[in-house]
Amino acid sequence: MVITMSSELPLLILYGSQSGNAEDLCTKAAKEAKSHGLEPIVKGMDEIKISDLSSYNRVLIYCSTWGEGEMPDNAEDLWQQAQGDSLPSLTTCHFAVCSLGDSSYDLFCQSGKDWDQWFEKQGANRLVTRVDCDVDYDKPAALFTSEALSHLSVVDSSGAYDPSKIGEVRSVPETPDEKAIETDQNKDKIAVGGGLEDLLGTGDRTLNIFFGSQSGNSEQLASNFAKRAENYGLKGIVHDMDGFDINAMASMKRVAIICSTWGEGEMPDNAEALWLAASSGSAPKMDGVSFSVLALGDTSYELFCQSGKDWDNKLEELGARRVAARVDCDVDYEAVASEWASEALTMLSAVDDSGNLHEELIDSIRDMADGGAVVADGEDGFSIPDLHGEEVEIQLGVFRYDPHEKTSGLDTWLCSLPGHMTLLEALRSIQRTHDGSLCFTDGAPHDPNTAISVNGRITLPGITRIEQLSNGRPGSIVMKIEPLPGYDVVRDLCVDFSALTKKRQEASVWHVSKTREALRTDQGTLIGPMSAVEATKLHAMSNRFGSQILHSCSDSVAYANSYLGPSVCLDLWIKKSDSRTSDKKIKQIDKILSGPDAILAETDLAPMARQPLAGRGVQNALSEARTSALESNGYNGRHGKHVWWYAWTLKSSGRVNDTVLYRQVLGPLGLLSNLTSGVTARMLTGFTRTGGKMVNDILGLVVPPAGIGKMPKQFNKRVDKHYEVVSIFNTLDRRF
Amino acid sequence: MPVRYAYHPGNVAHSSAPEVDETMRAACRSLDVDLIDMPGATSCGAGILGQANRRLQITLNARTMSMAEDLGLDIITPCATTAATLHEDLEMMKSDPSLMGEVNKTLQKTTGRSLEGSIKIRHFLHVIVEDLGLDNFLKKVKNPISSRLGPYYGPNLQQEGLVGGDDIFDPWYMESIIESSGGTPIRYTSRTSSAGTPGIFSEENTVLRQSATILSDAKSMGAQMIISACTLSHGVLDIYQGKASRSTGLNTNIPVIHFCEYIAFLTGNFPTRLAMLKTRVAVIGD
Repeated sequence: MVITMSSELPLLILYGSQSGNAEDLCTKAAKEAKSHGLEPIVKGMDEIKISDLSSYNRVLIYCSTWGEGEMPDNAEDLWQQAQGDSLPSLTTCHFAVCSLGDSSYDLFCQSGKDWDQWFEKQGANRLVTRVDCDVDYDKPAALFTSEALSHLSVVDSSGAYDPSKIGEVRSVPETPDEKAIETDQNKDKIAVGGGLEDLLGTGDRTLNIFFGSQSGNSEQLASNFAKRAENYGLKGIVHDMDGFDINAMASMKRVAIICSTWGEGEMPDNAEALWLAASSGSAPKMDGVSFSVLALGDTSYELFCQSGKDWDNKLEELGARRVAARVDCDVDYEAVASEWASEALTMLSAVDDSGNLHEELIDSIRDMADGGAVVADGEDGFSIPDLHGEEVEIQLGVFRYDPHEKTSGLDTWLCSLPGHMTLLEALRSIQRTHDGSLCFTDGAPHDPNTAISVNGRITLPGITRIEQLSNGRPGSIVMKIEPLPGYDVVRDLCVDFSALTKKRQEASVWHVSKTREALRTDQGTLIGPMSAVEATKLHAMSNRFGSQILHSCSDSVAYANSYLGPSVCLDLWIKKSDSRTSDKKIKQIDKILSGPDAILAETDLAPMARQPLAGRGVQNALSEARTSALESNGYNGRHGKHVWWYAWTLKSSGRVNDTVLYRQVLGPLGLLSNLTSGVTARMLTGFTRTGGKMVNDILGLVVPPAGIGKMPKQFNKRVDKHYEVVSIFNTLDRRF
Repeated sequence: MPVRYAYHPGNVAHSSAPEVDETMRAACRSLDVDLIDMPGATSCGAGILGQANRRLQITLNARTMSMAEDLGLDIITPCATTAATLHEDLEMMKSDPSLMGEVNKTLQKTTGRSLEGSIKIRHFLHVIVEDLGLDNFLKKVKNPISSRLGPYYGPNLQQEGLVGGDDIFDPWYMESIIESSGGTPIRYTSRTSSAGTPGIFSEENTVLRQSATILSDAKSMGAQMIISACTLSHGVLDIYQGKASRSTGLNTNIPVIHFCEYIAFLTGNFPTRLAMLKTRVAVIGD
């Protein structure tokens, strides 16, 4: 469910917790509740009286079981009250219970069951069946929470429950009060948005990443995280611990340390000197430093991650502030290290130029790093819709080409990515976390140089979200990402556009104006007049993404070396259609356009019509250019004859006669070529066909009148009311 | 209760591709789809006539579509080119009332007809998946075909507004039919690429390269046979495949049948032809 505007409804979330698990689940539910338009109120069971429950229409309970079916400590008192005599009526209350327990005990989830029955006994309405979670509670509890919140969110302020509204998108505030709440909220969000801007835009935003490395792993991670720092508004600078002055570290605002452990808990060689300096009595105070440590190690050694632990303790001892907890990694460190980086970069980003930690901006920083925008600027409080998409399973195949090894192939990743992620972000992510050698053109979202082919769709990856590519297909999304077709590949997804540049030079698509009448404007300058119709037409034809993209939208370009391509042809056609172009230039254009390497070399315009970055307008313009070229040539040549005889046979019977086409277009030599190449034999014998009247084809080719240029009427019966067809032809075009 | 459509067989089903018309009729009989003939319908022009005179092509197609309107039926066709051309011309008229008005003026003058634009153009594939439904279709399958089959759509059929709920670039309608009918669909990128068919007479070398790529792409991905939803491309991919192989050096030897033939075989028609086809797949397959 997506709710674009909130109209909060209070939701009491109660937890009875012994070890903290139920409390954690409450916290998560509270976050999720906001997206359902609910106003969560989280309370421990020891923070509420039993009589208070009657003032809530929506109650969500998470309760663990302790010992032999006992209530957790913080729920004992409330449960005692619940067994009293004067109990509240809960007839307008709607509730759901998630029970936590351990199936190895006899009375599994007893406390949750007790609360579930008690609420029902008091007249409350159970919206969702209780779920009893075993020790692996994460997934069932998460499913329960989502379902329960969906139901609780359709209980209105009077306590009425309307399940038909589940899944509705609420886009308009229902009451003036709700609108007021929403406006106030937006103000808050804008304030936060402004704060984030201030934080990111002012002062020193340097993040100093130190590596202590023996085998190179820490160094590699430091390098990767420095790149990721950009997403958090930080400028990552990587430092080798070797030779670094500890006093310089003391003046830094943000420090991340990535350090491996060597031998029996020893520092790696390059960290030894810095560690000695930090441990000496003359080490500086680090009061203004915020830090976090990633420790690499191997659990098969007794002193696992000792070096990282030492740095973590030492910096704290020197007065630095730990903003994200140290993480200790075993030999499979990549995923854990990546999680640490997300947290550490978020927290360190929230540290301002003065060393203050802005906790209120942490969520905004996370959203920013995830690619989500929180709120737009603007006095009208306009909110950007929630663009976050569900996680989608993807099989991502990326074309790879190594020019040195002269090898090519497809690398495939199976991954789960957020639907709102753009393709460009996905490629960056792969490059950052999986394969730094992946080559693609990075750039601004609308930069045509970044274009790639995804399953044959020419796409700007910076504006294409992954969820846009699912389009109803069952199962996971399979994407084959390839370089733009029609160009030489430099490496992987990078192509060389110079072939197009050369063709543009050959065709000389530049504008040459003619001398013409001008009008004087009110300002006294002279301008050439142009009718609104012509201007609109020219703009419509010119309105497209880059030339390099259109060039790739043709399926023929890659197979016809001398073909100028649709981009050059369209530019020529636009110049020809422009009344400002000189007559001499138009003659030059006509000569090129009607030649064998221009639009007549295009075998099929349909592929361009379906490409979102080209479209029907481009197809129509190129179709007009082709008609013009055919007329310039007097419908001679094979292409011209094909069109001419197609029209002629259609007028003659209402149907096309392919026998006539073959004979008239190919001529005796062409037919002979087909005879020797096996085409005719295949046609006649129906070699691969599974039936069909072969005799028709044979007669069509060899028996008069086919052989002497007359249409063989025995094969083309005229359509009913054929005279209507002739009449239409004669009205619109008498040439045929 | 049979569903009814006004039937346009496409451009060459009356001549060089009679098997398309023959199997379309048989398949529709088996699927309880009534085909109402339009004996006055002309060739759609296939975009070729439009190269000479676009208005002429649109007007002729408006005449054909007005016949379907008289019948109160949508048009069904097994030909991707016809589906695309009629759809494109219809949408162009619907989006431009002045064009619609001028076309109707000509139609009125020459034939006494007029077009409102109330019908839809449907390809046989979309009718099966969207109108009949896969579950209903499967009830009619009598001869499942278990081969590895490469669907070929071509670019004409894969146009916005014509494909219904299918994906333009990564379609799955034919794959769904193949899979649910016992076969293994082969997913290859060039199944929506152009075989270059409109240029077969004039740009033969380019077309041979285009079609050879499609054939060898399907073959290299493991297809034993190609099912084409496009009648004209079916002809090129089939008849010219030997020449394409010699021209490019690619391995293109693979049977290509039309979608209508495939559906007719699945629904129990022409068992002898199916047996011959299976033999051919078994013998020729690499």
